[in-house]
Amino acid sequence: MAEENKTTKEILQAKLAGRRQTPLYDRETLEKLRQGFQKWKNSVVRQEDQQNWHATPHTLLGSEIPREMLYTPLSNPDFDYMEDLGHSGQEPFTRGVHANMYRGKEFTMRQLTGFGGPEETNQRIKFMLAHGGTGANVLFDLPTIQMYDSDDPLSKGQVGMSGVAIDSVEDMDLVFKDIPLDQITVSLVTHYPSNTAILFPMYLALAERRGIPWDKLRGSVQNDITLEEVVRSGPEYIPPADCFRIQCDNIEFIRQNVPLWNFVTYNGYNLREFGTSGVTEMAVAVANAISTIEEMLRRGHDVDWIAERLAFFWSPASDFFEEVARLRAVRRLWYKIMKYRFDAKSQRSMWMRCHVQTSGVSLMREEPLNNVIRAAYEALAAVFGGVQSLHVDSYDEAYSVPTEEAALLSLRTQQIIQAETGITDVVDPLGGSFYVEALTNEIETRILDEVDEIEKVGGYVTAIDKGWIHKKIADYFYNERSMVEKGQIKLVGYNIYKSPIGLPPIHVFQYPEGVEERQKARLARLREKRDNEKVSSALTALEDACKRGANVVPHTLQCARVGCSEGEMFKVFKKAFGPWKPPVFW
Amino acid sequence: MAGQIKVLLSKLGLDVHNRGVITVAKELRDAGMEVIYIGNSLPKEIIRTAIQEGVDVIGVSSLGGAHLTLGGELIEEAKKEKLEESMAFVIGGVFSTPDAEKLREIGFDGTFVPGATREEIVSSIRKIVSGKTGRIL
Repeated sequence: MAEENKTTKEILQAKLAGRRQTPLYDRETLEKLRQGFQKWKNSVVRQEDQQNWHATPHTLLGSEIPREMLYTPLSNPDFDYMEDLGHSGQEPFTRGVHANMYRGKEFTMRQLTGFGGPEETNQRIKFMLAHGGTGANVLFDLPTIQMYDSDDPLSKGQVGMSGVAIDSVEDMDLVFKDIPLDQITVSLVTHYPSNTAILFPMYLALAERRGIPWDKLRGSVQNDITLEEVVRSGPEYIPPADCFRIQCDNIEFIRQNVPLWNFVTYNGYNLREFGTSGVTEMAVAVANAISTIEEMLRRGHDVDWIAERLAFFWSPASDFFEEVARLRAVRRLWYKIMKYRFDAKSQRSMWMRCHVQTSGVSLMREEPLNNVIRAAYEALAAVFGGVQSLHVDSYDEAYSVPTEEAALLSLRTQQIIQAETGITDVVDPLGGSFYVEALTNEIETRILDEVDEIEKVGGYVTAIDKGWIHKKIADYFYNERSMVEKGQIKLVGYNIYKSPIGLPPIHVFQYPEGVEERQKARLARLREKRDNEKVSSALTALEDACKRGANVVPHTLQCARVGCSEGEMFKVFKKAFGPWKPPVFW
Repeated sequence: MAGQIKVLLSKLGLDVHNRGVITVAKELRDAGMEVIYIGNSLPKEIIRTAIQEGVDVIGVSSLGGAHLTLGGELIEEAKKEKLEESMAFVIGGVFSTPDAEKLREIGFDGTFVPGATREEIVSSIRKIVSGKTGRIL
């Protein structure tokens, strides 16, 4: 098939050529508008503004897209309502994936939780649920993320820091103590394919233990190669091809066995926070999703079976309208890719469903209360963009994980948007704006262009292996830093409007003490009481599966059941796949 | 090269965030220093490499909360090797103002939190090194 050699962009161009059937403006009207516009420009607009008609906003994590001073129908003369927008819940889903959007279901308020030992995190989850949070979102500590046990020498001083410590199924049990797994949605922030393959089976083993069937479990994992191989600094890595295989193993296993679970959340967020524009963030996630679907087709699965449960995770940063337009743009692009590149049949497969978290990088240490305002605007952009689920960062996070008070304020920020502003009563309220529609078009084009670049490098896994993406990020953030230092990107209270008097310090979160000792003791008890013969045979079976190319997840699941620790399972991955060293550009 | 400052940079422990440290690596190199970046390491290994390479400055980065534990261990290891007088120790990352004071008390010559500019980092490293070694830079 000739199509096999074509890039996604080429396929879309060929299939979508000449499809515009309901243009809003006829030629005659446009011509009249053009004449009037020219006349207005010459007679009313100052010389200086005419010369600077296009201005480029410089913002944190922005895309540097030039903007006109005033947007008119001439900014988007080919505007075709049905082709470009359609109604909500209708192709191409620009206006939202559901017809009634937030009238039908409000966005899920899913605040991140995780610090200390499982006991402390369990308390914080219950606190958030008691205050109207509608889902738990569990973040792990650094040793757990990097797949080392609490008693590993590398973990010293980091157990329970910036997330919760999980070593085995016993800890998973404590995190969810008294929380009915079949009644809430749970996001386990297992960033990497490798730690997803290790930690999610612990959750499944816990459900088994409590007699809850897996088809009652609802929630998501991240499971994204980008985070394991690009957006991470760590002591040890496995090669990208093996990491990608584990990503797909997770997807396959979860899809087959835990039907309501979202098995992958393409995480643009951490990539963008590391340092890329909103365009690159989306292009990389989309390229990864395309590669994943290709691999799943190669494994013999049906496109809709996979695509119906794909989800994305985005970072809304400072440029308000860019953020609104971006969410609309990628929703339309994803629809086109699923429909025309992969011939998906189910409407649900064409939905770009997403969770967003306000930008952590935009939080300033200077005058931290200003961060409340920043996060609120970012959250507002996300809601205008039609997201499914939201986390609002807390104002004190440039110092530490949030205090209970700060975390509650973040939840309240969402609840105020949802309950007090009236914004959620109307679907896609900014749709049809000359500005927003022109910007949506521009961003969609730019995302597809970058997907094209990645595909021409040889696809997403190759782009990682060759360091293409690492280089792209490094170039972006060096440049951004220099723009901040030169004051081109303005940050209130930092490089503009600096306070002449020192403002009083805020109350900052203090980590609970004794977590490391508690985790080590629990791990020692586990190693003593478990059946170590079963442990070693489970680990041997896992290694064998890694080497012969079988799906690894049934084997990590068996490991979780018999009480293997996370570090023990990761050791098997390292042994079976060998090391890899990611490129660092500086 | 006479007068050139040699710097060893590392991430402390398992901290995943490296945007800051590689930005600093580039900025120090652009300012004429010789920079070695070794990625994620533990204090013992950092000290061992610093001795092998004969560096003037050890700079570590910690955004994950281990600044006092692993930072403290780094200074202890340095003292065991009697490096504290001849080598400069700086740390950057996310920590509170009281913690930054504690880090200076235990022996760090410089602490940098989010918002530290290129100019601040480069000039304070120059000042610290010339103060400690008496070299004119």
